[in-house]
Amino acid sequence: MIRLEKVRTDPVETLKRHAEAFGEAVKQAIKPDRITVEYPRERRRYPECFRGFIVFDKDKCISCFRCAQICPANAIQMEYFDNAYPGIDYSKCIFCHFCVDSCPTGALNTSKVHDVAFKTMEEMKLSAKNITKIPDIVREEILTVDYYVDKNVWKLVKKKELDKLEVEPKPVVVKARKAACAEPENCLGCRLCVNVCPQKAIAVERCEITIEEEVTGTGCILRVDTEKCTGCGLCVRQCPMQILTLEEVGE
Amino acid sequence: MFDVVQILNYLFEIFSSNMMDIPLIAPIVDFLMQIPLLNILVALILWKPFFAVVIMPGLGVLMLYLLYIVWYERKLTARVQWRVGPLEVARPIRGAIQTLADGIRYFFQEAIVHREAHRPYFVQLPLLAFIPVLLPILFIPAGSAVGIYTPYSIQLIVTFLALIPITIVAIGWAANSRFAYIGSVREAFIYFAYEVPFIIAVISMIFLYSSGDAYVAVEKQSMIPGALLNPIAFIVYIIAMLMATSRLPFDIPEADQEIAFGPFVEYSGILFGLVMVLAYEKLYIMTLLFTILFLGGWSGIYCPLLGDLNGPLWLFIKTVVVISILVIVRSIYARYRLDQALRIGWTSMLALSIMALIVGGVVGVWLS
Repeated sequence: MIRLEKVRTDPVETLKRHAEAFGEAVKQAIKPDRITVEYPRERRRYPECFRGFIVFDKDKCISCFRCAQICPANAIQMEYFDNAYPGIDYSKCIFCHFCVDSCPTGALNTSKVHDVAFKTMEEMKLSAKNITKIPDIVREEILTVDYYVDKNVWKLVKKKELDKLEVEPKPVVVKARKAACAEPENCLGCRLCVNVCPQKAIAVERCEITIEEEVTGTGCILRVDTEKCTGCGLCVRQCPMQILTLEEVGE
Repeated sequence: MFDVVQILNYLFEIFSSNMMDIPLIAPIVDFLMQIPLLNILVALILWKPFFAVVIMPGLGVLMLYLLYIVWYERKLTARVQWRVGPLEVARPIRGAIQTLADGIRYFFQEAIVHREAHRPYFVQLPLLAFIPVLLPILFIPAGSAVGIYTPYSIQLIVTFLALIPITIVAIGWAANSRFAYIGSVREAFIYFAYEVPFIIAVISMIFLYSSGDAYVAVEKQSMIPGALLNPIAFIVYIIAMLMATSRLPFDIPEADQEIAFGPFVEYSGILFGLVMVLAYEKLYIMTLLFTILFLGGWSGIYCPLLGDLNGPLWLFIKTVVVISILVIVRSIYARYRLDQALRIGWTSMLALSIMALIVGGVVGVWLS
């Protein structure tokens, strides 16, 4: 049988610990180490990679649909005016920012507006025109708060200046690519790629084809205008024979 | 008509014969004393017994103290625990009028009396509980201002303090709920645990001063405060005070997390407001007695501009400072179990109080 013995404590040690606790409490009462952010009046400065409201730059967009294709929540709908531009449905958006990362030209960019709120469901569906700039928000905060974290020091650093809402666009990680035909002899000449190309960079030319000098006939050859091609890859997805590819150009 | 004037004159004679002499507001008082009918009111307010009971160590500053201490305790605990505490009511002064806002809310809230409660007692007892809380104020002297002078004031204060837990136990019984029942049983247990050492500690101080008169006690502390004369009684008194007012290490009858405010669980509205401040008022009375017994009472630096107000002011300042230091234990200690608290009360505290009794007798002989 195991008998538990009463824990023996040293009275001097106990008194010392009581005094220690009391001293710590007094220290905290005079100068607390608290790290509370008084939220609406102070706002924490988040790093720039935090995912917020998505801002769209119309001039950079090449209407490649890549954002709409990659969106896992189907929140991006392309709209047609001048060209196809993405509109974001914030009732669906999960802020994964795949669209921002996949954009080949950096037309979509994050911002530091992190608390996006709307009054009705209809308002949550934003068209491309409405996301070209940061929405008008009332900024209640007076201070910007930063956590200073050392090995054993947690401290709040409060700064008077407000954080800028705009985020500098990141350099695009996607390399520039151009459309090219990998197997020209398999081309059907269906012209789907010609129709889908937003830049009208693909042209189809008829040509004579001879195989082993026995069979002769007419076929088609694709000419991609590399000046016009933006590398959006729409033709690659459209091609029924899957012979179009995107070739990396430059570094 | 003649009789009324005569009675008023008679009353005015009584009041003005024993008035607080405060040079700071003397011009205003002199001016007001010339106005008929108003002068009798001014004389009543400045009449020493009335002033002592209703204004300075009594009801008026008790209300101020309640507004201050509830906010202060919450704020201090919050700071120690890395929180912010009450803030949104009056932000520029860091939420200092939070208690006032709470009080107003309690006042207009519906006071629900549930079906199982003993209705007359349930409604009456919060009000009845104030009688033993407020009666000691009559006998607590502050300088020259005293409600009723008696050479047995310390014994009387202790007697009335001993009555308070009875009303709390009765409240728990009238509420007729399981939490309230557990709470009142715990209150009864704790009551016996602290009351015996507490009374013995006070008796040791009465031995020491060889009188139950607060004036004698303060006079004998003019050189050395009572806390140094009898440090053992000092320690016993502080621990008994924490137990008696359900401060956190001995927060057993009210234990929020276990039995949801114990005997007071069923109260709502203004009735809850009344029973909630009961412990704070008890703390105030006990600390007044503590200040008189151990900290030299109302003696302090004499300011000639304040005249008779010096005594009550010093007593009040000392009391509030002592309470402000005491509430910090709330943020340091965890709650004891009932059996641990009873063990402390019946063993170490009882032994310490008996030692204090011996020390009190010895020092008392030396002092006299």
